[in-house]
Amino acid sequence: MAVFADRYPDEAKVVRAALASSFLALLIGGAMGPLQTLHRIDYLRIMPSETYYTVLTLHGVALVILFTIFFLVGFYQWAITDSLDRPSEDIRVTWLWYGLMTAGAAMASIAILGGFTDATDISASVLFTFYAPLEAHWLFYAGLTTFIVGTWVAGADWFRSWWNWKKENKGEKTPLRTFMVLTTMLMWYLATIGVAAAVLLFLLPWSLGIIDSVNPLLTRTLFWYFGHPVVYFWLLPVYMIWYVILPQIAGGRLFSDALARIVFVLFLVLSVPVGIHHQYLDPGIAEGFKFLSASNTMFLLLPSLLTAFTVVASIEHGARQRGGEGYFRWLTALPWRNPAFTGMALAGLMFAAAGFSGMVNAGMNLNYLVHNTMWVPGHFHLTVGTAVALTIMAVTYWFLPRITGNPIFSMRLGLVQVLTWFVGMVLMSNAMHRVGVGGEPRRTADPFYDFEFEGVIGSIGELHLQIGIGAIILTLSLVLFFIHLIFSWFGISATTKITSEAPIRKPLSGKEHAPAVLENFRLWVAIAAVLIVLVYTIPIASIIAEGGLFGPDVSPVRPDHAPLFSLSGLATEWVVAGLAGAVGAIAAIAGVLR
Amino acid sequence: MATEQPAADQTDDIQREIGHDEYDPIGTLALVFIYFIIVSMLWIFVYFVEFLPRISPMVVF
Amino acid sequence: MEIHKYEKIWFAAALVLVVLFISSVAYGAVGAGIQMVDDEGGEINPNEIGDHPTFEGYQDVAGTEASVTQVNESHYEAQIQANHPNFFPGEITVPEGSTVTFYITAGDVIHSYDIVGTNVNTMVIPGQIAELTAEFEEPNEYGVVCSEYCGELHHEMEGMVNVVSEEEWEENYTDDLITIDERGGDN
Ligand code: HEM
Ligand SMILES: [Cu+2]
Ligand SMILES: [Cu+2]
Repeated sequence: MAVFADRYPDEAKVVRAALASSFLALLIGGAMGPLQTLHRIDYLRIMPSETYYTVLTLHGVALVILFTIFFLVGFYQWAITDSLDRPSEDIRVTWLWYGLMTAGAAMASIAILGGFTDATDISASVLFTFYAPLEAHWLFYAGLTTFIVGTWVAGADWFRSWWNWKKENKGEKTPLRTFMVLTTMLMWYLATIGVAAAVLLFLLPWSLGIIDSVNPLLTRTLFWYFGHPVVYFWLLPVYMIWYVILPQIAGGRLFSDALARIVFVLFLVLSVPVGIHHQYLDPGIAEGFKFLSASNTMFLLLPSLLTAFTVVASIEHGARQRGGEGYFRWLTALPWRNPAFTGMALAGLMFAAAGFSGMVNAGMNLNYLVHNTMWVPGHFHLTVGTAVALTIMAVTYWFLPRITGNPIFSMRLGLVQVLTWFVGMVLMSNAMHRVGVGGEPRRTADPFYDFEFEGVIGSIGELHLQIGIGAIILTLSLVLFFIHLIFSWFGISATTKITSEAPIRKPLSGKEHAPAVLENFRLWVAIAAVLIVLVYTIPIASIIAEGGLFGPDVSPVRPDHAPLFSLSGLATEWVVAGLAGAVGAIAAIAGVLR
Repeated sequence: MATEQPAADQTDDIQREIGHDEYDPIGTLALVFIYFIIVSMLWIFVYFVEFLPRISPMVVF
Repeated sequence: MEIHKYEKIWFAAALVLVVLFISSVAYGAVGAGIQMVDDEGGEINPNEIGDHPTFEGYQDVAGTEASVTQVNESHYEAQIQANHPNFFPGEITVPEGSTVTFYITAGDVIHSYDIVGTNVNTMVIPGQIAELTAEFEEPNEYGVVCSEYCGELHHEMEGMVNVVSEEEWEENYTDDLITIDERGGDN
């Protein structure tokens, strides 16, 4: 089959644009990672602690809003076009949503970057959760809104493709990838109601001075109504990659098409009515609703546990087709030299570990132990920071040739890249979990107090060292990724073009075995809506009844500006020397590995 | 130098085709069984050994 | 639909896990009696904290050595206001073997009150009073942190809970101790 970039050149262009935006966000957000880590553990401080929070806001927003979601829309555009085998209905609409998202991203980024200078009063040092009464410049809220509206139009664009496809293919079952795109987007429409309400009804008018008070518990609850399902918005494209692409690379076939669909439907139904699990320690919400949310959350483990089985079974199928035998020996028959495979397999392994720390987070009263400690970033650097980010990086070694027509620069370099990410994250995340259990809080520039934390197995000092080493290895991995990305993307030093691609192999148990009711999207949305109403009506009604729609006269608080960097003479030299050394070393590594 | 590559996935190294009915994912079952054991042990450790006995001071009502 | 026998086994095992988790949590809540922070504390106007019955006279209490109010023999209560970047009062003292009820609210933005090394940990939200009760058995010095980002000096926000021996309590903290009846308020 001809390569995707040649079959659908116009769509491939949009896919490339979205991926470029996504990777730009990864670059910017990623660069903040070592900066804040080394500041926190007091190894290298090149900014005042006040600026830390602007850096952290940039890290959070760039990585979990921009990087992940831009990747999603690019990848999903490919999934729709390729699996329905039809061009975009109107490529201008496709560019429209990309344009909206880019404009929104730019607005929000400008607002955040404004926090680095005293030259304007624009700032948004409110972290990616932007809890009121902390207030950002209106540009930040307007940017987020525009960005999300862009994703809504993208969803509509894909639904339109599907409707038109159905008209021409009466009685046929929706292709698996399209099915996954549509269920994800339905979940997203339900989820974004919360953040849209928080921003449009309260925060945006408040930042513009139209209303002068908000109810902080209400906007926070609306945020988490959206804030939990958004994690599935990061995760579901990755699940699609694991279900569809990973078996392909492993030399196998998806074990069961029907189960993959069931899993996505379960996410559509269960993702939203769980957000209160982020508010276990909030006053103003009755314990019964916290328990309800905890139980729902535990049930939400099921689709992920089912995914673990189906995906591993599909990989095992590949291993056996490649000659693998035995209970465990088949693992050695897998293509471990392929960075796409190894990266995803390691990402999956880390996700299994994250499953456990997530169960602890979800454990309601157990949450007293870990709430807002470093345990929590330890947890989500395994989920979004590895399961998602590493899978996205790994899949580029498979995906880029299809959308650019250029070959991969070096599989060996890719392998080193995914391995270093894994090693760096094992170190950093493990130590974060442990200082967290010792009580060290997250989101803190300077976690050194008049008293000491007690580490669990190992002193806080040792654990900080591990965090620092992990962060440096991760940064190295990121640099390798970008060197590699640029060489591959632009075909620098490539001698040939990729002109053909292997089609995706059919599942072992195909879509003809999937029950027809799975395609009844109306039914699933209705069930999801009923659950949401059951779980959320009373808590939200009581928050409004007790605290008032606009709260008790709560005025906005804008975190103070702080200048960008306070490079003392010595620090400057160290930074410059360090950067120069790092660039040299990396160039050398890239050369050798090639 | 980049040599000619297919679009990242090769099927050459497949030695045999295994169909739906001839395939039992016994290795997968073994792996998830191990995961099940690890997770339940860890949970019991964290909840009943680390957390519950940490009664003093403990939020009681 | 074709579902492999092994996958059915796994599904059953997954359900067992889910049931294990939910029942542990329920046991912690009912059996071990660990309550969640909830809506019992009620609402408050963040601009008029001293006027709220729960906080009446709390500034006077903060001026005493212990900075807590005595409810009865072994029960004390602490009213705490969080304002970036301070807790007020920042330090409280109670005797060993006491039960302490905390009432915590915020005057500006969202904070948290997290007694390090314990399970006492709550969000502090303007407009809401977080109420929670804990038992302190042994003498100890506990650090308190605000673990929710609340502004550019968030990392400076800390406090202290001292649990002192019976003798030390009698010697240094009982002279100006305020009892619940003296303070007024409706608790
Ligand atoms: C070079 C790699 C990275 C390093 C060294 C790093 C380091 C850190 C550290 C130390 C924190 C905690 C800061 C604090 O709470 O005070 C943090 C927070 C965070 N990181 Fe990363 N990280 C990296 C990559 C990523 C990636 C790839 C993602 C997601 C795709 C990510 C998402 C986040 C998020 C969402 C937060 C929380 C922000 C907040 O609390 O508002 N990080 N990171
Ligand atoms: Cu969540
Ligand atoms: Cu704070």
